[in-house]
Amino acid sequence: MHAKWVNRLYATMSAAVVAFILLPLVGIVWVSFFSNRILSFPPEGYTLDWYVRAWGMDVFRDGFVTSVQTAACATLISLGLGVPASLALTRYRFIGRDAIQTLLLAPMIVPGIVGGAALFIAFIELEVLFDHQIAGTLGGLLIAHGLIALPWTVRLVTASLAGTDRSIEEAAASLGASSLTIFRRVTLPSIRPGIVAAALFSFVISFIDLEKSIFLVGAGRTTLQIALVNYLEWNLDSTVAAVATVQIVIIGTLLLASDRYAKLGRAF
Amino acid sequence: MTSAAATAPHPSPGSARARRIPPAFGLASPATLFVVLALLGPLALMFRYSLNRFVPGEFMVEALTLENYVKFLGDGFYQEVLFTTLWVSGLSTLLCLLAGFPVAYYLVRQAPPVWKSRLMILIILPLLMGNAVRTAAWMVILGDKGLLAAGMAATGLFSPLKLMYTPAAVVIGLVSVMLPFMIVTLRGILEGIDRNLEDAAESLGASHLMVLWRVVLPLALPGILAGTMLCFILSMNAYATPVLIGGPQFHMMAPEVYQQVAKAMNWPFGSALAFILMAVTLVLTTVANMLIQRRYRRWSE
Repeated sequence: MHAKWVNRLYATMSAAVVAFILLPLVGIVWVSFFSNRILSFPPEGYTLDWYVRAWGMDVFRDGFVTSVQTAACATLISLGLGVPASLALTRYRFIGRDAIQTLLLAPMIVPGIVGGAALFIAFIELEVLFDHQIAGTLGGLLIAHGLIALPWTVRLVTASLAGTDRSIEEAAASLGASSLTIFRRVTLPSIRPGIVAAALFSFVISFIDLEKSIFLVGAGRTTLQIALVNYLEWNLDSTVAAVATVQIVIIGTLLLASDRYAKLGRAF
Repeated sequence: MTSAAATAPHPSPGSARARRIPPAFGLASPATLFVVLALLGPLALMFRYSLNRFVPGEFMVEALTLENYVKFLGDGFYQEVLFTTLWVSGLSTLLCLLAGFPVAYYLVRQAPPVWKSRLMILIILPLLMGNAVRTAAWMVILGDKGLLAAGMAATGLFSPLKLMYTPAAVVIGLVSVMLPFMIVTLRGILEGIDRNLEDAAESLGASHLMVLWRVVLPLALPGILAGTMLCFILSMNAYATPVLIGGPQFHMMAPEVYQQVAKAMNWPFGSALAFILMAVTLVLTTVANMLIQRRYRRWSE
């Protein structure tokens, strides 16, 4: 065992680092309740007015609605594409399996700004080709967000599938169950935690995306993150803090829920 | 036929009575097609465009030229941008490693079991609050009337630091994004190291630093490498932090890509910037990986 002071040193350093990581989160939640008209420290008093003001601002309210819609659809896309693909990757051997696995995880590796720029260019070229707007529409945003969420779904669901007992599926097959029945009655129930975690994670990842969306939002269709960044370029007040606090509460709840199904630390 | 295929990983050749489509193909192809169309295709197009010529007023002219890459190499401004990106990323990554290791070590070796998962959640939650929100929070803390300035003024000991819109503030912001990734990666590798090895070294009289240096470090090197690569790549590609905390005078590569592609509409040069960014990141991480792997082999012999 280490000397006592070594242990204490590790505990102190860890506490300091965790405090550093949490500082922005705590700071912005605190500031959202300040009654100071111009953001400054220390607080003169506390109020909930900023929340009312934030909800009254079209950019934030519409941004929030767009973000929720986009994230919900992106989750469905990523589950619809990712769960079957994960099944193929874990249950079958086929030529090019490793390549496909790498490809499906690639959206996580390609920098968000580069992927966003490439999609933006491709969309504009398609618009010219077909004379139909894509960039700045919900459809364009959904393609980008489905792409962002897909690798997380593949990762969480393949991990979940790899952890299940294959012999139950084999037993069901030997008793004459069709592959669809096996999937519905055996595989699906056993990977449900992985799927729930994948859904929650996909939603969060899409909801907080900034780098890809920034190319693809249009007039009147802005996600919450872009609305926040645009606002921050010119203002810094407690309205932003109120919006941020609402987002922190929503995401925190979703992540704590998903932690029950798949440990957060394993998702990375 | 489908039920047999669902359970047999290697469909035996005997049963190959002219299968229609293998089930794995049908399951994996929609996702594969989606990624090919939404990621690979656009990237290929972008690469092709980086070889085009940009003529002001005419937008983009079809060409097959390297002049966008040459322009980057010859332009002092963009060399400076790349250099800033490199040193900011390098420094942030190093700080992440130094700050992240003690936390990972504490989590694996010392933290009380109840606290392990709680600490993990505390470390990961801020990561997923989003770049926009986190950046806003750092602006609140580091700004001229921010928490830090007020705190320092209250103690009366320091003159208020001007941090906002400095590279130092960008490094602080980046470290706070990347630390959780580093801690999670390091924790993964430390968990796999047999504690008895450390105890044995210590019982033979090695100091704790010696144990870290001679036992833990060599064994943890793959994880340290992975965490370092991850943090370096993340900060090379950072967008929100340099734009909002660095201010208008501070330039890093990712914001320049956005600027060129979406604002200046100079697609050829913006595309070239994007590929230079990815190539530099790839080359540096590969070279570092090779050098350290070689060192590691020598170490373990």
